[in-house]
Amino acid sequence: MNRTLDRSLADDLVRPLFHTSVWFYGLALALGTVVASGLAAWGYQIWNGIGVTGKRWPVFWGFYITNFVFWIGISHAGTLISAILRLVNARWRRPVTRCAEVITVFALMIGAMFPLIHLGRPWLFFWMAPYPSSRDLWPNFRSPLVWDFFAINTYLLGSLLFLVLPMIPDFALVRDRSTGLRRRIYGALALGWQGTTKQWHRLEAAMQIMAIAILPVAVSVHTIVSFDFSMAPVPMWHSTIFGPYFVAGAIFSGIAALIVAMAVLRRALKLEAYLHPMHFENLGKLLLLMSLLWVYFVFAERLTVWYGNEHSEMSVFWTHQTGNYAPLFWTMVACNFLIPFPILALRKLRTIPGVVFASVTVLIGMWLERYLIVVPSLGHKALPYSWGTYGPEPIEIVIMASTFGAMALLYTLFARFVPIISIWEMKVGQHPHRHALPEEDEEAAGLWRVRP
Amino acid sequence: MPYRWGMAVDADRCTGCEACVTACHAENNIPTVGPEQAARGRAMHWMRVERYVEGDFPDVRVKFRPVLCQQCDAAPCEAVCPTYASHHTEEGLNAQVYNRCIGTRYCGNACAYNVRFFNFFNPVWEKPLNLQLNPDVSVRGVGIMEKCTFCVQRIKAAKTVVKAEGRALRDGELQPACAQACPTSAIVFGDLNDPESRVSRLARSPRGSKLLEETGAEPKITYLAKLAWDESDAR
Amino acid sequence: MSPLDRRQFIKVTAVTGTAAALAACGNPEHQIIRFIPEDDLVPGVATWKPSYCPLCAAGCGVVARVMEGDAEVFRNGQAGVMRMALAKKLEGNPDDPVSRGKLCPRGQAAIQVTYHPDRVAEPLKRAGERGEARFVPIGWDEALAEVVAQLDALAAAGETAGLACVSRPRGPLRAALVARVLEGFGGRAPVAWEAMGDDVLRRANGVSFGSHAMPMVDLADSRYVMAFGADFLGTWHAPVTFGVGYGRMRQGRPGVRGKLVQVEPRMSTTGASADEWVAIRPGTDGVLALGLAHVMLAAGLRQASDAGRAGAAIAGWSEGLSEYTPARVEEITGVAAARVERLARELANHPPAAVLIGGPALAHTNGLFHALAVNALNALLGSVGQPGGLVVPPDVPAPASPAGLASLLEAAPTVLLLDEANPVFDAPPSWRVAERLRAIPFIVSFGSFIDETSAFADLILPDHSFLESWVDAPPAGSDSSPRVAGPVMRPLHRTRSMPDVLLDVSRRLARPLAGLPETFEAFVSAAAPATPASASGPSRARATADAPAAAAWAPPRFDGEAGEFPFHFLPYASQNFLDGSLAHLPWLQEMPDPLTSGMWSSWVEVNPRTAERLGIAQGDIVEVRSAHGVLRAPAVLLPSVGPDAVAMPVGQGHTEFTRYASGRGVNPLAILAPLTDEATGMPAWSATRVQITRAGSGDGSLILFAGATRERPDTHEGR
Repeated sequence: MNRTLDRSLADDLVRPLFHTSVWFYGLALALGTVVASGLAAWGYQIWNGIGVTGKRWPVFWGFYITNFVFWIGISHAGTLISAILRLVNARWRRPVTRCAEVITVFALMIGAMFPLIHLGRPWLFFWMAPYPSSRDLWPNFRSPLVWDFFAINTYLLGSLLFLVLPMIPDFALVRDRSTGLRRRIYGALALGWQGTTKQWHRLEAAMQIMAIAILPVAVSVHTIVSFDFSMAPVPMWHSTIFGPYFVAGAIFSGIAALIVAMAVLRRALKLEAYLHPMHFENLGKLLLLMSLLWVYFVFAERLTVWYGNEHSEMSVFWTHQTGNYAPLFWTMVACNFLIPFPILALRKLRTIPGVVFASVTVLIGMWLERYLIVVPSLGHKALPYSWGTYGPEPIEIVIMASTFGAMALLYTLFARFVPIISIWEMKVGQHPHRHALPEEDEEAAGLWRVRP
Repeated sequence: MPYRWGMAVDADRCTGCEACVTACHAENNIPTVGPEQAARGRAMHWMRVERYVEGDFPDVRVKFRPVLCQQCDAAPCEAVCPTYASHHTEEGLNAQVYNRCIGTRYCGNACAYNVRFFNFFNPVWEKPLNLQLNPDVSVRGVGIMEKCTFCVQRIKAAKTVVKAEGRALRDGELQPACAQACPTSAIVFGDLNDPESRVSRLARSPRGSKLLEETGAEPKITYLAKLAWDESDAR
Repeated sequence: MSPLDRRQFIKVTAVTGTAAALAACGNPEHQIIRFIPEDDLVPGVATWKPSYCPLCAAGCGVVARVMEGDAEVFRNGQAGVMRMALAKKLEGNPDDPVSRGKLCPRGQAAIQVTYHPDRVAEPLKRAGERGEARFVPIGWDEALAEVVAQLDALAAAGETAGLACVSRPRGPLRAALVARVLEGFGGRAPVAWEAMGDDVLRRANGVSFGSHAMPMVDLADSRYVMAFGADFLGTWHAPVTFGVGYGRMRQGRPGVRGKLVQVEPRMSTTGASADEWVAIRPGTDGVLALGLAHVMLAAGLRQASDAGRAGAAIAGWSEGLSEYTPARVEEITGVAAARVERLARELANHPPAAVLIGGPALAHTNGLFHALAVNALNALLGSVGQPGGLVVPPDVPAPASPAGLASLLEAAPTVLLLDEANPVFDAPPSWRVAERLRAIPFIVSFGSFIDETSAFADLILPDHSFLESWVDAPPAGSDSSPRVAGPVMRPLHRTRSMPDVLLDVSRRLARPLAGLPETFEAFVSAAAPATPASASGPSRARATADAPAAAAWAPPRFDGEAGEFPFHFLPYASQNFLDGSLAHLPWLQEMPDPLTSGMWSSWVEVNPRTAERLGIAQGDIVEVRSAHGVLRAPAVLLPSVGPDAVAMPVGQGHTEFTRYASGRGVNPLAILAPLTDEATGMPAWSATRVQITRAGSGDGSLILFAGATRERPDTHEGR
């Protein structure tokens, strides 16, 4: 009984690796086109200059930094959630962790591109990196952008490890099921995994260390991203609340992104048997919590500004509340709280479609939140003579769209080449004590222990 | 003792004529961006004369305030630049190293005065307007920030001259383009380390204040308040 | 590898250098001919050469910073590159009595005249219809031969009076030389045309003070200055000289700070700087001036006889101006009676004090009255010719009257010489300049740019720029000699100095003109310092003929019924372009307007209350309709203009004036009524009434540098 279950589980989950549908090629082609158009747009921008965007004096940051913060926020879905769930040993996490961790890695990669896209002279981006140069020139370690450089790279590296470590047993499984070139590739990726007790223990230990280590890194990354803003004397940026506010917002948007990704996978890869309504409900509850936290932060931030009544801050405040940016601001409030709150709070509405809908609005709302942090403040600094308004140009929208395309493409490719649900962890879920006592059931263990 | 360059701007003298604005363009090879780009907020004026209109007709009051880089001693633009393109010199200037700038534009955000300008495109000088370019000032290319330098090229030249002549720089001998052009002499430039220089004396004036001093950036330009006339003034 | 020693380094560079040079031979850019460079060039070292700014009549003395550079030039029929001395920047000349080492924004931008990409680089011959501005290049010899042929034909027919010349205000020596050439030929006296000129004031000064010169105020020593409409710190007369004095008046004397009172219906740049701004009904300035005089006389602060000749020019002066009681003044001007009393006492009690009038205040049908009234008030104050008072320089030729250009056009000359005047753009539409130019058989322009007027020319014989030629400026200060400077740099293009071309032509005529100098340089060198500008000029005779009967208040006439056209239309000389003659300079196009911060655009200034009533928002397109025309421009809401008026800067709206100005904005002068000052015939450009309606939402043509107008903007204000 257990054995057949194991087999069908493995069959189900590795199927996408062995059976490529036409849909895959079509989708990959379509997404590839979107990404290519974004790259072409970027090339056009590099050739001509940042002037092809809508950025202007004094709103020097716009869509790109908005997207940067947004994507870095999305990246908090994965690793952070999966690490927490691992640490508290939430059983229901098992089918969720890998899709979550993948989001982190890809979102980080995309997010980290934006500061480069945003540069006036992107070909000199490496000047931000510390490297020994003949002139003894180092980056300015006082600059939050240099902190970003370190924080994002650390997080990316950590998340990559956190993602790849538990993939090793699954690579081994694929290796054992395949032949030829594929076997050699997956063999290399499996790093000689034999499924010995020692290896299992090492893996477990490594996962435990990573899960603990990645938590402060994740928190620090978005705190440091918030420092990009809060370190500058710009009205409504220069605030102590920005660190936790950004982290909360990041987790908020991250969970929403995870829910959407899971829903897509569930439908596309027919994983209904693994991703249950319970998963969506649990994540939905988490989303509800974050929504409340988000509202709390927004309220606290705004109350402080309003009470302080400092005139340049107030000009930004009112432009949000009732001025030019009010439509965006209130859409954001609706998307992040007014719509998702009832959906997530009422059990009747907390269905898969309901939770997914709420997640989509949260994604829109959180993107708007980033935009509203970046743009109105820069346009309303202390000297009203120098005020200005920013609006994006088509090229910025193309590049932004292409990053969503890139996310989808990377995700599609990933799901095509790696089991998107951790097979061994699912199995462990079915036989909670199996991996601890593999020799008990020689036959089942044989699945893992392969003679070379 | 090294120099410490500073400036005083007298609102009681300033008429908002903008001679300083054009003089700055002429001296510092600041490009004109043309109407399309100007409409998109890309006009570059290292020196601008802010005007604020208060009151209603016929009791209208207008305030002119020339705003340029304040050469802050604790400049936020310097701290945030990842490549040290924006940095502090020994003489207290906020230098912008054009070659080192990679265009994050972070300094432009951090500057509370919005006196930093970005080259959104390569500048264009329709021939032969290029012949007018000042050979002492580099022409900035696409993708980098630029701003008022207190006419550092003039400072360099003046220091070379006084060194060759083996004497000290006289107060008022060296002027940036804006101060030199200003018909009403509203702009005074000089060495703040010399307590007797005109700019030092004006910096101590009871009419003096710093713009946005509350940001803690320690700006080096003193703004002298415009006075209201009363009978006793003219006696 | 061992480190490179010096010997090796030289070898390597020699080899690579030669290789590079050989490789470069294939590149056409490197095959351009290099002319022998100018000698006495020291690389990297600047020299300073004096000149005079030609952009307005003040003639600021400048020094040009000259450094070497590679210019693409045309020499001896060959294009090439030449290392030559190039002017790099203009500064005020510290030794000059007008600029005193300072310069205005227009003077700073004057250098762009020389390097303008659309300068006429060689003689052009008309290839299209008149006004089409289609030209083909032509050689100098051919061009001059054509001019000579036309003039010879004129002389042969005995119609030498058919030769006429219109120029913009030029230095007195250049004007005198041109006048001598025309006089020698038998042509009409040359006419200097300036759209927003001060002929009314000059004439009034002739009556009041016996001098037709433009007045100055010794601001530096003044304790109280009142200006009626004269934007003397921005655009009027000699803003740099005034600016230098103003700085000293405000902060140049320990313990003394003079007061500036500005009286005008629309706040100018000067008004924005004033200590007190007095809004007045358009066309009533003289009444306020006489009201102030009345208070002084009535209170015994001054005696009527103090005003002498200037007072005698005003009807009822010796009777104490009983017509001009504060109450009556309030009724006419809208300035409260109590305020009139106070201002009069302040003015009388703070000597030395001076009063100025100019610009829009005189552009009314009763303009001369206002000027005479202000002159009388000045005389009453007793500060004329005193330190801190009004300075009236020695007499100069009186302006032709009625306006010289109008009568010249009516006379329909056969050959017209145009020296950078642009009446097609800036003369009153009722003069139908374009139509009349079309009827003139032969027009030669000496302009450096193709503008609306030179588009009508048959030949364009481009002049040198002021930096490339001998220039002179009107005398100033205590010295009455003209100010003269030589060229700063060699010509960039195939241009020739306009006076020299005239002299050349006069020698080539079938009957060469006698008694003329060889060159303009010789002429200015010979002009001894003692020879003032009083040179010739047939209009000289008029100087004594302009004493009219004692001036009395007559209400100004406005064009358009107040019911149908409820708003006064107040065009004003823009800080950037003056009367529009500088709209081709990109620095000035991109310089934010001092009050609105507008760049590259036209706009209509509307009072916010008016705008609210008419549903006009900032940037909305407004239709301005007078009885004589209609224009559309974006609205700028500013409280600096009254609810019963709208204002517009002059300068934009060129149809043909280089790439930077053509097709940009609208020209407010185009909808003006054909009213003139009744005494002088000068256009009364402030006397038109208009109606305004909202014509649509913003089309993006309003380009502002500033985000907000108020320092503490309301929530929704700004961008």
